[in-house]
Amino acid sequence: MEQYRAHLMICAGTGCVASGSLKVRDALDVEIRKRGLEKEVKVVLTGCNGFCAKGPIIAVHPGEIFYQVVKPEDVPLLVEEHFIKGRPVEKLMYKMPADKKAIPVMNEIPFFKHQVLRVLRNKGMIDPDSIEEYIARDGYQAAAKALLEMSQQEIIDTVKGSGIRGRGGAGFPTGLKWEFTSKSAADQKYLLCNGDEGDPGAFMDRSVMEADPHSVIEGMVIGSKAIGATKGYIYVRAEYPLAVERLKKAIKDANEAGLLGRNILDSGYDFELDVYLGAGAFVCGEETALMRSIEGQRGMPRPRPPFPAHKGLWDKPTVLNNVETFAQIAPIILNGADWYKSLGTEKSTGTKVFALTGAITNVGLVEVPMGIPLRTIIYDIGGGISKKGKKFKAVQMGGPSGGCIPEHLLDTPVDFDSINATGAIMGSGGMVVMDEDNCMVSLAKFFLGFTADESCGKCPPCRVGTRVMLDTLIDITEGRGKPGDVETLLDLCEDIKATSLCGLGQTAPNPVLTTIKYFREEYESHIHDKWCKTGVCRDLASFEIDAAICTGCGVCARACPQKAITGEKKQPHKIIQELCIQCRTCYDRCKFGSIKIGPGLKFAKAGATNAAVADATAVGGPAAVADATAVGNRGEK
Amino acid sequence: MTENGLKILVVDDESIVIRSCEIVLKGAGYHMEGALGGREAILKMEKERYDLVFTDLKMPEVDGITLIRWLRNSRPDTGIVILTGYPSQDTIKEALGLGIIDYVPKPFTPAVLLDVTRRAVQWLETRKPGAFAISAEMSSPAEPVRDDFPPAMAAELDKVIAHYKHIPGSLIPVLQRAQEMIGWLPVAALKRVSKGMNIPAAEVHSVVSFYSFFTMKPRGDHNIRVCLGTACYVKRAEEILRNLKEGLGIGVGEVTPDRKFSLEEVRCLGACGLAPVVVVDHDTFGGIDPKNSMEIVEKYR
Amino acid sequence: MARLTIDDLKRIKEKHKEEFSLREGGYRAKVTVHMGTCGIAAGAREIMTALMAELREAGAEGVIVATSGCAGLCSKEPLATVEMHGQPPVKYGELTEAKIKTIVKEHVIGGAPVEKLALVTGSETAY
Repeated sequence: MEQYRAHLMICAGTGCVASGSLKVRDALDVEIRKRGLEKEVKVVLTGCNGFCAKGPIIAVHPGEIFYQVVKPEDVPLLVEEHFIKGRPVEKLMYKMPADKKAIPVMNEIPFFKHQVLRVLRNKGMIDPDSIEEYIARDGYQAAAKALLEMSQQEIIDTVKGSGIRGRGGAGFPTGLKWEFTSKSAADQKYLLCNGDEGDPGAFMDRSVMEADPHSVIEGMVIGSKAIGATKGYIYVRAEYPLAVERLKKAIKDANEAGLLGRNILDSGYDFELDVYLGAGAFVCGEETALMRSIEGQRGMPRPRPPFPAHKGLWDKPTVLNNVETFAQIAPIILNGADWYKSLGTEKSTGTKVFALTGAITNVGLVEVPMGIPLRTIIYDIGGGISKKGKKFKAVQMGGPSGGCIPEHLLDTPVDFDSINATGAIMGSGGMVVMDEDNCMVSLAKFFLGFTADESCGKCPPCRVGTRVMLDTLIDITEGRGKPGDVETLLDLCEDIKATSLCGLGQTAPNPVLTTIKYFREEYESHIHDKWCKTGVCRDLASFEIDAAICTGCGVCARACPQKAITGEKKQPHKIIQELCIQCRTCYDRCKFGSIKIGPGLKFAKAGATNAAVADATAVGGPAAVADATAVGNRGEK
Repeated sequence: MTENGLKILVVDDESIVIRSCEIVLKGAGYHMEGALGGREAILKMEKERYDLVFTDLKMPEVDGITLIRWLRNSRPDTGIVILTGYPSQDTIKEALGLGIIDYVPKPFTPAVLLDVTRRAVQWLETRKPGAFAISAEMSSPAEPVRDDFPPAMAAELDKVIAHYKHIPGSLIPVLQRAQEMIGWLPVAALKRVSKGMNIPAAEVHSVVSFYSFFTMKPRGDHNIRVCLGTACYVKRAEEILRNLKEGLGIGVGEVTPDRKFSLEEVRCLGACGLAPVVVVDHDTFGGIDPKNSMEIVEKYR
Repeated sequence: MARLTIDDLKRIKEKHKEEFSLREGGYRAKVTVHMGTCGIAAGAREIMTALMAELREAGAEGVIVATSGCAGLCSKEPLATVEMHGQPPVKYGELTEAKIKTIVKEHVIGGAPVEKLALVTGSETAY
């Protein structure tokens, strides 16, 4: 098959023919031959494009450049400029109707500009249910190459050389994992794909399985030859019905096309693949637990060694890789290790997909080269904090195993090692952005609630430890925190990290550790002042209207479910504390920032220390002080 | 409810079917009437109460599935058995989903018809009048619980078990299919799986209790799931959950006394772009203001 | 589908390049509705139904209607991409039934992108 550098598409619809497109084609043929470009540039006649008024129209691919009203006499200039000098001829270029600038192009919008698509190469481009459309975009070419032209070692060497590290979170080099397993002798080996995307706030894998299921299957076919596996499973969460449906259809089609199953592409290799539905246990993201689950048992991790490379599923050598890892294998095989390494950093090569969510303007799935600063992802791609006037507070990475990264570390490059150094982890790629209205203690409580719930119960440090930490955090957020709690938490963190068997327990303290490390003053203010400055912890907050700012618009009064806000129109309003349930509705609704959050009233006697009052001055101005004092008095009666 | 007091309606567009049912059932002492199609059946039931309806699926105008749907909505206490010459997996599945008790494949012998009728009547009796109005405390063993499931489902479950029996590690898929069919996992279903798969009941239970997907409590007609993923949490999903609990008067994992709604929390549905998210049955609602939590639920009343 | 050989892979690739790139397939437009979980939850199915109805009503010919997975910009769901022969693809977001009707009328049939509704035009950088 000949490879052309460029395709010139000339419209041969009735309209364009009438305006002379065939003459332009002839002129092009002559000019291209004259320049000796006939092996590089191919001229193709196409059907009507519907823009007959601007014909003849010529489209050049790649580059997606469109020329309009091209005349035979324009051809020499066009060939000279575009194909020899490589710059499009502006005066012939197609102009969007009306104002050309009205619709921004991809590289003018930061959300798209900073992204490079490898994993998501077919994102939104193909029908996931059509194997033909996948094939049309180079699909299964890499599988063919690996099965028919490459040796097992060559495949492993290419993957190793690419430097790709597992995208499930821990970042173990994929090529090494494959090599270990390829060397284990056994009558049966297994290749598993981890689609049990359990981190709350992460949905990269779901999206890949839904949008491009064949990319995962192809990666697995290649991997199966590398390690010598003849049977594989894709383990998918039951919460992802659409992904399951599309994977099943893709597997069926691939089997029928001879791209899976027996004697794939007549290469003599067999690989049988099935979807295995998870049943909702976060710990099954851990490899040994996942294998137990496929065996039909409780998904509990076991000690390693023996490593799965020697004894995995049904005690046979097994490799488990993440969805995103498999989706990158085909392009690596097709384009080579050096191509892969051309993006990213030395130790973290290639690209990474992140699920960008939370208090951010552009929620979405983004793929960026490794090493790009967090700030670029959050401010350029993500468009910054979504709520007007609110400040960035932290970004949570790695879910329940990860941590919060504060503002001053936003220039950290995203690669495995730099993220680890902050105390968070790369994880599977969930990135939840939080603004100043999020309470860090309550966030830590949320994650501990998650891990305490999901702990499989095998090891006491994890089962009991996370529970004790959770109880302590609940106490702190409900006003029962006592001096020394933070130290107790830190002690527990160290113990649980050191003594848990699997990744779940070892990383469970991370959300607490990072929030204490970067937001310790919030813990202190919850414990000592009984004051949650974000108002998230209801018991530790009171709400006051700053009369100096209030315009009397009445929005808060209408929104208040308790009818606890009174005031004349255009006059400063007031909150009746006895009725207030601290729901924070008024705070969210006020456009002027006149609602100030003070310490919890219940604890006024114990908690209204001088420090709290002094802080209230800083935050709420004189009105808040006056009220805080009043509250203090009330409490003492 | 005695056999003699029980009223059966047989719906079929062929009068010969109704006549033969009449001979067999009346001969056995049942009170039975016939209707020559879905429309006639509905008209009859508008006027009179029947306890058990046997219906054909393929009928002109108002077909069997439509009739079953109508029954489910308008006469939820009526037992339904289907008579069908086309027991395709899909129609059976659809009918099972609509809560039929059993099915009779056509052509049938009098013995089969009587057998199915007896089982169906037994089934209706075990549910007892008022069984539908179980209170929220139905988890407590003292309360009457629907601890069985219709014979048609048992037959389906046996088929699933037979298919998976010799595939190692297939306990979880079998349980998933069972729950898909019945809606939850009653003890009787677990026993059946244990026996059929030759796996100790304790082991079956250990797996069921480990995975959050499985539930041993029945769900309401509409299952409400509140996503508590990080993105939803950050956007105050907790308040939505609190408002729903207060609005429905039940806790997480419980069912309203009228069995209309059940409430569950779920770990991230991966639809973070729409956070905060609530899913009712298969409908996803995104970008919810906590204040309006109950409005979503009210649509399903 | 019959079992494929390596030559078949190339053949399919070429055939599809031609047919579905609007070049030689005789189509003038392709509308892709992005239907991942997010998209569907945000109403992509309703958009698809409205799109089909509108195309039928207008008697538009030579238009490919396709479904695809998530386009990545979840906060703007539901999303659709309109590709016209000879023009870079245009993405539309936060669609409603009324908006998709306008897009069919003005862009797919009329040939002029609906500027006030469009998000972005062009293709993303791959590799």
